[in-house]
Formats: sequence, structure tokens, C-alpha cells
Amino acid sequence: MARFVFERAIRGAITVFVSLAATFAIIRLMPSNPAQLLVDPLLGPEAVQAMAERLGLSDPIWIQFGKYIMELARGDFGFSFRTGQPVGPTLFSKLGWTLLLLIFVQGVSVGLGVPVGMMAAIKQNRLFDKASNTAVILGVSVFVPFLAFALLYLFSYKLKLFPTGGAFTPPMKHGIAFALDVAWHAVLPTMALAAGNTASIVLYTRNSTIDILKEDYIRTAYAKGWHQGYIMRRHALKNTMIPTTTVISLNIGNMMGGAIMTETVFSWPGVGRLIYDSVSKQDYPMLQGAFLVLSITVVCLSVITDLAIMAMDPRITH
Amino acid sequence: MSELLVFSNYSMGFKENNKVVNLIDNVSFAVSKLAAVGIVGESGCGKSMVSLSAMRLLPANAIIQGGEILLNGEDLLAKSENQMQELRGKQISIIFQQPMSSLNPVLDIGFQMQEALTRHFPGTSKTEADETIALELRGVGIHDPAKTMRAYPHQLSGGMCQRVMIAMATICKPSLLIADEPTTALDTTIQAQVLDLMAQLKQKGSILLVTHNLGVVAEICDVVVVMYAGQVVETGKIEDIFKNPQHPYTQGLLASVPTLTTKKSRLHTIQGSVPAIWDFAKGCRFHTRCAMAKSLCENEKPESCQAGSPGHIVACHVYGGYI
Repeated sequence: MARFVFERAIRGAITVFVSLAATFAIIRLMPSNPAQLLVDPLLGPEAVQAMAERLGLSDPIWIQFGKYIMELARGDFGFSFRTGQPVGPTLFSKLGWTLLLLIFVQGVSVGLGVPVGMMAAIKQNRLFDKASNTAVILGVSVFVPFLAFALLYLFSYKLKLFPTGGAFTPPMKHGIAFALDVAWHAVLPTMALAAGNTASIVLYTRNSTIDILKEDYIRTAYAKGWHQGYIMRRHALKNTMIPTTTVISLNIGNMMGGAIMTETVFSWPGVGRLIYDSVSKQDYPMLQGAFLVLSITVVCLSVITDLAIMAMDPRITH
Repeated sequence: MSELLVFSNYSMGFKENNKVVNLIDNVSFAVSKLAAVGIVGESGCGKSMVSLSAMRLLPANAIIQGGEILLNGEDLLAKSENQMQELRGKQISIIFQQPMSSLNPVLDIGFQMQEALTRHFPGTSKTEADETIALELRGVGIHDPAKTMRAYPHQLSGGMCQRVMIAMATICKPSLLIADEPTTALDTTIQAQVLDLMAQLKQKGSILLVTHNLGVVAEICDVVVVMYAGQVVETGKIEDIFKNPQHPYTQGLLASVPTLTTKKSRLHTIQGSVPAIWDFAKGCRFHTRCAMAKSLCENEKPESCQAGSPGHIVACHVYGGYI
């Protein structure tokens, strides 16, 4: 167990390092020079050159990378090109919002997807199953930004039920009122992101439940005199959750990638929105930091899901 | 009246492409109290469906076509699903062929035993339940019940799993235990131990044993029901069937059993195999493989008739003296 966690931590660290190196290179492959954006063109090329040197951009890329790693080792994410503020605190305040949205989305998609998928398996080829299959096809094939715009148009602009963007209404409230305000703001982004996630969870849960319901141990449970509801909860659910948890883990990775679009559409103050803003401003340290915390988050969550699967399935021992 | 379970002219089949294909045709037999009845036949003869019918645990596409299954005089086919749930595990229990896959892989043995008990005795306290479970597990020859209760099915051998299944099926002291090929998946020494266990159980309740293994039947059963392609071809006390078989199919089956005393390089075989359910013959379903078949056998289903000793019943035109 401890050895498993240790091995996964090593593998996770390698994954994070590779993604760090790749994003570091890709960011610097972007055309145009951030120093140019920060210096008034009237000051001439010497001023641009001086700025580039101040930002550390005139060094060869591996020297830049080495310096960055050294700074990271000291817990220093560098300073934003755009604001001059340290990257770390900005990043962590934004990460909280992204994780909050992630919890909302995964909560909704698991809470809705697993029961619907199991019900569809019980009612296989009946009306409920057919309706849910249709919804699944729509859910997995809809283009998330399109869905986001459609939801905004319908619920914010036409029906005026939900806010058009942001995570809370300023001025910031306190306590329960603040939590309710945030939840109200989160409804539309959650719906937009949860649609595809829920659909894939319904799909996998339905298929694995159909297989599980044919298993001998389900028949044994009926032979003991138990009723369907109990058997679904106590015998089928845990077995179904094993493959479904893997899907949840994959969904989280995809969601982190998709967060840029959704957070931008809904002006959600998370890491995705930060990446969008930093790309347009060529804010290298901010971008780099954002990619780094996202990859660490994804790796950590995938270790957690592996541990959850181990806890559910006694057959797996490492 | 000492009959616990009675199948009376019971027929069932399967619905396929909006057509109903008959499998079990007019099956009648009875299981007396504290007796063991063996149903024997080749694979595909419908013997497992007979056992699942008594539990009312048939697959979704099964259709019951007629007859009655009486338990203590009450027709199980007339009961609601809720009423059946009250009976399952308490009055009738079943153990299956594959003990490993019949236990839930993600739940420990203790939990799976305990839910079998608390389903019908919901007031049982945790300590009471644990004591009962330990007692039952010892009863099936498991010496360290506490350890077994903490184990998961994959940590146990096939023989251990079947013992657990037997303990689980008998924890509520049912009056009838159905055993559907209980030893088929086990190796020979474990088979013998499981059969000993079943022989002991006979002192506490009735057993309906479904098997293709005549040796297993000889070991435990008092009465044998021989089935072929969904029909009962011969029924009788164990001595009648083994010493004085009358139906050509029963004779063929017994002749196929290897013995230590005869010197034969090849075992006897019955030509052909059980046809698929949609290819069942008209008339006597066995006539396509019967050496004695005449034209009457092709067209008319033989009536059951008494053969020699009481309770020995044969359904064959040849024996009935019609040809």
C-alpha cells in the first residue's frame, strides 16, 4: 500500500516534469516577443532588448528552464510579466475556484449519472433506457462552448434566471449568503460542463451494470430472498463503481483541459480563465504556473481515484 | 401426506422472436420430507430450469406454460414476487454449480452470510448473527470461521466457497435445499467431502439434487428422476433405477458409467446428443437416438405407466407394450 503510493508519486512526478518541460517549450514557441508588448514601440529596439534581458528572455531556452526549475525548487513561481505581482498567490486563489467548479461538476455527474445508468440497465430496451440513451448521445456529442452559449442565451439573457458571469456578485457577502450566491453563479457553468461528463458516466454505468446483473452472485442475492432495490444498492453498486471510477478520473483530466473555454464564457475566475488572459498577454510565468498546478492537480486526482478503486476492489493488491 | 415439493404437469419454455419454444414438457415428480431426490440427465435436458422454476428465479425470457409447483400444498406459481421473496432462503434455498462466481467478489464472506440471515430474521443482533454464522461455518467443516468471515471469495478455494454457499443456503434452516450441480466445478476429493455434507443435511431437510453424475445420485438420493429433452422419462426409487432400469435412455445412461469390474476398452455411448431446444422431436423426444424406436414413437408421446414396484414410472411405448 505505502509502496504503491510511493511508486505512483514517483510516476506522477515524472509526468508533471514532462508536462512542465513541454509547456515551457511550447509557450516560448509562440510567435512574437512578450518584451515587445511591454515596451512602448517609440522607445526603440534597445529598450525592447533591455526588457527582454530583465525578464530573462535573452538567455538560451535551457538556461531559462534551469533557472525556472531552481526557482520552483525554492517555491518561487516567478513574477507576472503583466502585473509584476508574484505568480504563486494569484494562482492559488484561482485554483480554488477551478476546484470548486470541478467538485460541483463531478458531484452532479456522479450523483445523476450513476443512478440513471443503473436504472437504464434495469429497464434495458424499455422506454427509460431508450430516452436515456438518446440523452447520452446528445450529451457526449454536444460542443461544450456551444452548450455554454446556448445556456447563457436561454437562462441568463432570455429567462433572466441566472447571472451572465462571474462567481459572485460584488460586494462580497459572508457566510451562507455568500455560499448561496456562489452556488447560484455556478449553476450554468456546472450545467455546461456536467452534460458531457454525466452522459459518459451514464453510458459506462449502464453497460457495466448490464454485465453485472448477469453475474451469478446477483442470482445468489435473489435466492436469499432480497428485493431488487437492496440488490442494486448492496451488490451491484460497488461492482459498478469500479469501472465508473476510472471514467470519473478520465473525465477530470478532460474537464481541466476544457475549463479554459467554459471559464472564459462564464467569466469564472478560475485557472482556465487565467490561462486565457495570460495567453493573450504573453504572460509566460503566469501561463507556466497555471499549467503546472493543473497538471499536479490531475496527477493527484488520478492517484486518489486509483486508491479509491483499490479500496473498493479487494482483488487488487499491489 | 409427507410430500414437501410436488411438480405437477409443469411445462415451461422460452420466448424467442415472439415465438414460444417449449423446453420442459409435463414434468411431474414429488420430493418427500427428509428425502433426497436426484434429477439426472445430459446437459441441455432442462434439469437446471426445473430447479430455477422451484425458486421462481427463471431468466427474463422464460414463460411458464402450465401445471403447478406445490410447496407444502401451496402453488408457488400463484404467488406474487413479494411472497416468493419471503420463501426464498427461508423455505427453499439453492446452491449453484459455480461457487466462486456465486459469491460477490467485493463483499466479505461475513457480510454475505449475515445478509442471508438478517433478510428473514431482521432483529438479529450483530453478536448473535456472528455466533450463528460461526456455528454454520463450523457445521460445514470450516475450522476457523472468524478468519473465513473476514476473507473475500477470491481468497478461498472452490471447495471452501461451496462450503460457504451451503452454510449460507442453510442458515435459515430451509425445509428444502436445491443443489444444482453442486460438485461439478470441484475436484474429486473435495466432491466427496461436499457430498458427505449433503448426506448430513438430508437429516434436517429435503434435498433436490440436480446433476449429470450418476455416482453423485447413488451417494445421496432416495428417488431418481431421469429427464431427457425436457421430459421425465423414468422415475423410481434408487434401487429400481439402478438395478432395474426400464427406459432405453436410463439403460443407456447406466451402461455408460465406467466400472472397475468390467474389462472394456471403450465405454458404452448413446449415439448422438441432446438436440437444441427448437429441434426437439415430436412424439417421444428420445426416439431419434433410441435403438428400439418404432414409427409409433415418432408420432405419439408415450404415456407414463407403472413398472413393477410402486413409484417406478416409465414413459416409453416399448415398455408400455404398445409395440
